[in-house]
Amino acid sequence: MAIIKGKAWVAKNYVMSFDMVLQKYWTSPINPAENAKWVMAGVSEEFNSENAFVRAAFTFIVAGHNFAGGGKSIEHCVTGLVGAGIQAVFATSFARLQFRNAINYGLPFITSKDINLSCETGDILEYDSDNGFIKNLTNGKVFSSVPVAPFVAEVAASGGLMNFVRQKMADGTIHELH
Amino acid sequence: MTITEKIMAFNSGRSSVVPGQLVWANVHTVMTMDYLGKQCFSAFESLSPEKKLFDKDRVICVSDHLIPPPSEQFATMLNEWRETVRKYDIPYFYDLGRQGIAHQLMVEQGHVLPGKVSIGTDSHANTYGAVGAIGNAIGVTDAAIAMATGKCWFRVPESVKFIVTGEWQPWVMAKDLSLHIMGMMHWNGHLIYKALEFAGPAIESLGIAGRMTLCNMTVDLGAKNGIIAPDDTTIEFLRPVQKGEWAMLKSDADANYDAIYEVDVTNLGPTISLPDKLDDVVPVEKVIGTKFNKAFVGTCTNGRTEDFAIMASILRDKQIHRNVNMVCIPASQSVYLECIQKGYFEILIKAGAAIETPSCGPCAGIHTGVAGDGDIILSAGNRNMKGRMGSKNAKIYLTSPAVVAASAIRGEITDPRFEN
Repeated sequence: MAIIKGKAWVAKNYVMSFDMVLQKYWTSPINPAENAKWVMAGVSEEFNSENAFVRAAFTFIVAGHNFAGGGKSIEHCVTGLVGAGIQAVFATSFARLQFRNAINYGLPFITSKDINLSCETGDILEYDSDNGFIKNLTNGKVFSSVPVAPFVAEVAASGGLMNFVRQKMADGTIHELH
Repeated sequence: MTITEKIMAFNSGRSSVVPGQLVWANVHTVMTMDYLGKQCFSAFESLSPEKKLFDKDRVICVSDHLIPPPSEQFATMLNEWRETVRKYDIPYFYDLGRQGIAHQLMVEQGHVLPGKVSIGTDSHANTYGAVGAIGNAIGVTDAAIAMATGKCWFRVPESVKFIVTGEWQPWVMAKDLSLHIMGMMHWNGHLIYKALEFAGPAIESLGIAGRMTLCNMTVDLGAKNGIIAPDDTTIEFLRPVQKGEWAMLKSDADANYDAIYEVDVTNLGPTISLPDKLDDVVPVEKVIGTKFNKAFVGTCTNGRTEDFAIMASILRDKQIHRNVNMVCIPASQSVYLECIQKGYFEILIKAGAAIETPSCGPCAGIHTGVAGDGDIILSAGNRNMKGRMGSKNAKIYLTSPAVVAASAIRGEITDPRFEN
C-alpha cells in the first residue's frame, strides 16, 4: 500500500479502551460505520457527540504509552477507528488486546519511539508502510518504526483475519497452520 | 525454555520456540459469555456455514455479566444468548442456577489443564495460569476462529520471572502480593506483552485460590499471561474435575528470562491501591482511618471460599459498622454452597453483610451494588479506575478480603493485624 498521507490527531498516554468505546456500546454489533459514530466519546469532550470523531477527519492517531489499554476484549475500539477513516495508529506502546484486534482487522498499529513528543494535532504525516518511515510534513521530522511481522502484513493483505482463515478453510490448508 | 515457551511449542507441534516467534497453537478450550457470546457465534457462523464447532465439549459458554438480568435490555440479550447456545446443544453451558464467573468455572470445573492453552473473550482469562495453563484473553474474531478450527495465533512472549520467598504473615494474602507487584512494576507498565512466571517457596505454599488471584491480575500489569508451574497442589485440585489429558510442563533450569525479580513476602503487610490508578499502591498502614461507605468482596479475583473464610474469621461475632453497606458475591454456585455449608455466610450475614447470587456483579459497573456519586468503596475486586463500578464521582480503594472485613467493623480502613 506504500504511502499514506493525512492529518493526525495526537492523543495522550494511556488512552483507555473503555473511554474509546463507552460501556453502552460494548455489546453493539460489529459494524465500522456504526461503531465510529461514538468512538473516542469518553477520551475527549470534543468527541462526545454523534460522529464527532468521524467529522474531525483524521487519517492517523499518534499516541504515547499503552494505547487502547484497560483490558477490554471488545473489538469496537478497532472497528470504530476503521469506520472513522483512521488508516494507522502510531504509538510508543500498545495494550496487547487491542494490538491483537488491530492485527486481526488489518489496521496498522505501529510502534514508534518518541513519536508523540514531536507531533501536534493537525500536523500532516506521511507513512511509508513498505519502509516503516513516518514523516511529519508539517515540521519535517522523520521517525522510524518497529517493522511489521510478515504474518501481520499477510493478514492485512487478506482484508483481515476472518478472510485469511476463510481462505485457508476453503483451500483446505487450515490444518497446516501451526 | 520457559514454561510458557514449552506450552507454545507443545501445542503448535514444535520441539522449541523463541520469543517473538509467531505460532498457531491448538487450543484446549474456548470460553465465551453472555456479554460477547452471541457475537462470537455469529462470527463463527460466517466462517462455518455448516455450523460445525471444532469440538462442542471444548466450547465453554457462561452467563456471568448479565445474570440475573437487572434490566429489560439485558433480559432480552440473555434470552438471545440462551437461544444461540441451545441451538448448538453445548454441554458445558453454565447459566443462571448453575452459574459462576467464567474464569472461576473454567478452573473449578476442570476446563483448563496444565500444559494446555485456553482462551476466553474476557480480559481476566489470565487466571488460568494458576494451574499451569496458558490463559489468554482474545476478541470475538479470535474466539470465532478457534470455535471453527481449534486454533489461535500467538506471538511467543518474552518471559519475566518473580521468585517469591519468605513466610506469609498472618492476614496477608495473595492479593497483597499482587497489588505490591502492581506498585513495583506499574499498571500496564514495563510488563506489557510479557509472560509472567511466579515461582519460589512462597508461591508453592499458596493454594489454587491464591494462585488464581495472582495470575488473574497479571492482565492489569499489561502482561500476556501469568503462570505458575503445576505441582502436587495442582494435581490434587484437578484430579476430581479434570476434563482431558494434561502435561506437567515446567521451565528448564537454564531458561532465558528478560528479567528476574525477587520478592520476600516476610516483609509484606496488608496492601491497598488508592482510587483511580491501580499502581498507586501503599501499605494499608498509610491510610488507616480513611472512612468509606461501601464494601465489596467478590469477582474473579477474590470471590472464592478461601476469601470468605478469612472474612468470616475476622467478622465472627462482630458487627459491620452502621455506615457501611457490604455486598459479598461468591464467584460460583459451588463456592456459594461451600460457604453456606462451612458456615461462613451465616457469620457474614449475622455481621450485617448482604450476600448476592454469583455473577460479575458491580465490578464492571453493571448491577448488584453499582457505585453512585460520592461513594467511597473498599473493594476486593481488580480495577479501580474512575467509573469502573458506576459513577465517575465515586472512589474505589482496592485491597484484600481480610482488609475489607477488618475495616468494615470500624467503618474506616483498618489493618487486620491490629483488629485481631
